[in-house]
Amino acid sequence: MQRLSRSRKLLRTFLRNRTSFIGACMSLTLIIIAIFSYWLAPYDPLKQNVYYRLTPPEMTHIFGTDEYGRDVFSRVLTGARTSLFVGIVSVAIGMIVGTMMGMVAGYAGGRQETAIMRFLDIMMSFPDEVFGVMVMIVLGPGMLNVIIVITILMIPRFARVCHAPTLGIKEMDHIVSAKAIGAGSGRIIIRHILPNIFGDVLVMTTLWLGTAIRLEASLSFLGVGVPPPTPTLGNMVRVGVDFLATGPWISLFAGLAILFAVFAFNLLGDGLRDITDPKLYAR
Amino acid sequence: MLAFSIRRILVAIPTLLIVLTITFVLIRIAPGDPAEVRLGDYASKEAVEALRRQMGLDRSMWVQYLEALKGLVQADFGRSIINGRPISGDLKRALPYTIQLTLFGIMFGVLFGIPTGVYSALRRNTLTDYIGRTLSLGGLSIPSFYLGILLMLVFSIHIPLFPVVGGGDIHDLADNLYHLFLPGLTLGLVMTAYVTRMTRSSVLNTLNEDFIRTARAKGLSERKVIYKHLLRNALLSIVALIGVYSIILTGGSVMVEIVFSRPGLGRMMIGALKQRDYTTLQAVMIVFATFVVLINLIADLLYGLVDPRVRRK
Amino acid sequence: MKTLRPALTIVILIGVLLCFGVQPTSAAKDNVLRIAFDAADITDLHPHFAHTTQDRGVVHLIFNGLVRYKTGDIGKFVPDLAESWEVSRDGLTWTFHLRKGVMVHPWKNNPGYELTSEDVVYSFTSAADKNKSAWAVEYAGMQFKAIDQYTVQVILEKPLSELLFLPKMADYAGGLIIPKKAVEDLGEGFKSHPVGTGPFVFKKYLPKEKAITVRNEKFYRGTPKLDGVEVFYMPDMSSRKFGLQSKELDVIEGPPSQPWVDEMRALRGVEVDVFGPGEAGVLYFNMAKKPFDDIRVRRAIAYALSRDEVVTTIGKAIADPVFSQIPQPQPGYLTRDEVLLRGKMDGKDYLYEVDRNKAKKLLSDAGFPKGLKTTVFMTERGEYAVPFQNIVAQLREAGIDVKVTVVDHPTYHHNIRADMNPIVEYNCWRPTADVRLTHFHHSDSIVKTGKKPVTNFMHLGEKDADGDGKVDSVDYQIEVARDLLDSGAQKAVWKETQFKLLDWCVSYPLFIKKFTFARRNNVQWGYDLTSTLILSPQINELTSIK
Repeated sequence: MQRLSRSRKLLRTFLRNRTSFIGACMSLTLIIIAIFSYWLAPYDPLKQNVYYRLTPPEMTHIFGTDEYGRDVFSRVLTGARTSLFVGIVSVAIGMIVGTMMGMVAGYAGGRQETAIMRFLDIMMSFPDEVFGVMVMIVLGPGMLNVIIVITILMIPRFARVCHAPTLGIKEMDHIVSAKAIGAGSGRIIIRHILPNIFGDVLVMTTLWLGTAIRLEASLSFLGVGVPPPTPTLGNMVRVGVDFLATGPWISLFAGLAILFAVFAFNLLGDGLRDITDPKLYAR
Repeated sequence: MLAFSIRRILVAIPTLLIVLTITFVLIRIAPGDPAEVRLGDYASKEAVEALRRQMGLDRSMWVQYLEALKGLVQADFGRSIINGRPISGDLKRALPYTIQLTLFGIMFGVLFGIPTGVYSALRRNTLTDYIGRTLSLGGLSIPSFYLGILLMLVFSIHIPLFPVVGGGDIHDLADNLYHLFLPGLTLGLVMTAYVTRMTRSSVLNTLNEDFIRTARAKGLSERKVIYKHLLRNALLSIVALIGVYSIILTGGSVMVEIVFSRPGLGRMMIGALKQRDYTTLQAVMIVFATFVVLINLIADLLYGLVDPRVRRK
Repeated sequence: MKTLRPALTIVILIGVLLCFGVQPTSAAKDNVLRIAFDAADITDLHPHFAHTTQDRGVVHLIFNGLVRYKTGDIGKFVPDLAESWEVSRDGLTWTFHLRKGVMVHPWKNNPGYELTSEDVVYSFTSAADKNKSAWAVEYAGMQFKAIDQYTVQVILEKPLSELLFLPKMADYAGGLIIPKKAVEDLGEGFKSHPVGTGPFVFKKYLPKEKAITVRNEKFYRGTPKLDGVEVFYMPDMSSRKFGLQSKELDVIEGPPSQPWVDEMRALRGVEVDVFGPGEAGVLYFNMAKKPFDDIRVRRAIAYALSRDEVVTTIGKAIADPVFSQIPQPQPGYLTRDEVLLRGKMDGKDYLYEVDRNKAKKLLSDAGFPKGLKTTVFMTERGEYAVPFQNIVAQLREAGIDVKVTVVDHPTYHHNIRADMNPIVEYNCWRPTADVRLTHFHHSDSIVKTGKKPVTNFMHLGEKDADGDGKVDSVDYQIEVARDLLDSGAQKAVWKETQFKLLDWCVSYPLFIKKFTFARRNNVQWGYDLTSTLILSPQINELTSIK
């Protein structure tokens, strides 16, 4: 009898589950579009042609042109890449730092744990947009600063998620015995705790990727995110609002792209959670 | 119960202090000077210096910090350094609009979210369920400002029903509600999405529990099963998450206030940031933090009340 | 479950009925003019500090000056608080004869009183005090004396032409008269409760929402037709637009943007006023930062730019190209023909009309065959950012790569004055050519290091502009023109100065963009709105709503 390896079993479940499958497809499409946006874009997203501004969607410009005569479709593609880039980098760094923090806090216990968790609690008591705006005003607009801000906002989330399971896992027998033989904390954390929580972390990563993208859009909409002329989906909606009557396609398509991206990652995350959550999966 | 409450309240105080400190530091690091904002680009260097002295900005950081702390303790927010008006007055005017919007959002979300969530859970994997799940996922994926703009387009432009200007006269209930509808709807729809999903998963979890099977076996009507057990558990989960939801709501209300030009806390904050109005910004952040702390407190207390296990800890 | 559905329906029905059934009270048909500005809130309503568009919009309802710019036409001065005036033979003493019976608005417990020379002297003394006014420098060295109850004398240290002197006495900035008793009584409160003599009396201020003024029944030029004016603060463009459409607002401020103008004009019952003088947009090159000290690089940038494209970006109905540092219609400006002709006579080109090949060649000569890279701070404010984005895109076509760091507006102004930008875009109007030339081109005004730093971003007067090894400056020309009493002679010197500046290519004049306001077509200003200094249409006793 064939014994499918655990990962192949997981993959098959993954593909069978409708939610995760559609989510994965959408996300993959997005990522591919983003990576190849430079080649897929029919026009230079920065090239202006003010004599041809605000033209509605047509054969030569399928999403129309914006207030400077730039091709909206090319800008949405490039914007998707920028937004995605910002999201992925922020979440990636946030994941690494936050997971570490959560595991260390959970494992170390005592005063360190309380201090870290308390501090994270306070961080999470600020609404994202409020905190984001404040820090962006201090740092000034720009892609690097947006990444910094969103990373800071992601860290407590990951830390929280990793903290609780760590508390449970560290009491397990094989951990206790490993400690007894004198295995270093770092080794224990990485070799024993991390693999057990990694599944949860992965699920949350996809979900928070959507959050990060939406956050970048919000910051850009408030005027403190990545500034023009670099296209991001957020700042395109912002500018498009001023032209809602004469050129609604700018905001419409940029906003739709945000919705698509966030929805895709949320769907994927939902699907992953369905699969990895034993309670629901059992049915 | 009392000890529990007191403990929770005590924890709130350092939170507020840290919020104040972080705000104080951050806004002063930001480039741009309030005196320059006040005087504009035509003013001379001496005029700017004179104004800075008048605003009290030439004092040392520690003095300014102590003053801010004093204000926090005495609950006296002082005056705005940009326009010299007492901040408490501005806060009193702005707060009702924000509270209205947030409450409407929560109520709408709970009112429409719970039944939808239950409905969806009970009809799991049917078309209705899929539609419901897609819509609710869409609801929390869509940026609140985008939804607000779309609603504005439809309900204010094409079918000119609702106003977009401001928040209405606070003393006139009808006018107030009239101005509340669209922003409230925007926030409410997003909230509904969150609550629906939460309710659905909570109901699904509970449906599995043994005691439900027992209840059904006992012969209780479906309706009774739902009301007595499912809903109560669902509500418990929601109360547990009120803290998180209120933070999301607050953030969302800031965006919605900006889009609809509502004169609430959100607009006050953004304005203070742009004008480098240090004192007003500190005050607004404290109010936000207090708001969130209070809601968390109430949620924790509610949860403690409902779930006896927590109390004993 | 069975009861939930009908319960839900009832709730929805109630909610809908509530919202449909209630009638709004604000869009009433009263005789109050409601105008909305693109601003979040008041900054300062003290007339000697108020500089933002929204603040001036309120301040100019409430205050007057000895002299005023003819409403809607800044080219002329007419009497206002002063009925007549004359100047002594030596040009040092100006005497103003005040109108009698001008009543100061009532405030707090005071029913108001007659404005006299005591108030005028008090007002100018305050305007000259750098602790009490942002424009104190305009009145430096002047003395103010009350000769009798209705006569005021202004004594100068050096004679000034009428062209340069009257703007300081006009209903603008430091020239607005504040009543002594009210200021002393209200103290700090004056800046949020201004008291003046104008057609409208300040009544109330709802923070972040609106300022309310009511008709001044005792206004000396005649009772205003309007019952009052309400000034709204609405930083969101769509909200302003929707407010105008729903008739809750009568007038709204617009961005200097052609699409916006087109959109507003297409609305039923709405008209758009595009009026001057506007703000002139000039690109200043910072010669203290290499390689902008090289005249070839500066000329390359000039040739890389098409004024027409920048003007089109803003909108042909709103902006016009300018060809000299002093923009039309300010006395002293140069027309395109004047610039073209003089260039031909001198055997040079002062127009620098777009020629990207020439630009690339100049860059190559200057040592940048592969193009030039530079970093610039820019403000997020639309009126700067919009044309600048087009400028950056145009420069890209000529191989000049400008990396833009966007900051907020206060930071932008701070940074450019801290000498951080190699190229500075600056949009503004200055009351006279002398002020503009002094602020931007005199060596005293050099940013950061000048004797009295203002906005000389170019470091003109300190550097060698044309590469001949000698420091180039126009200080002498500026000072000479200032002291001339004959306006014709002044204009001639100003024009000569500008030809020099064009030759040195120390800056590139681009456009002048007008102000745009949309109003419901039942609003009548009561005068011909051609130009106004306060950046918004003046609302006075003649304005009415049909």
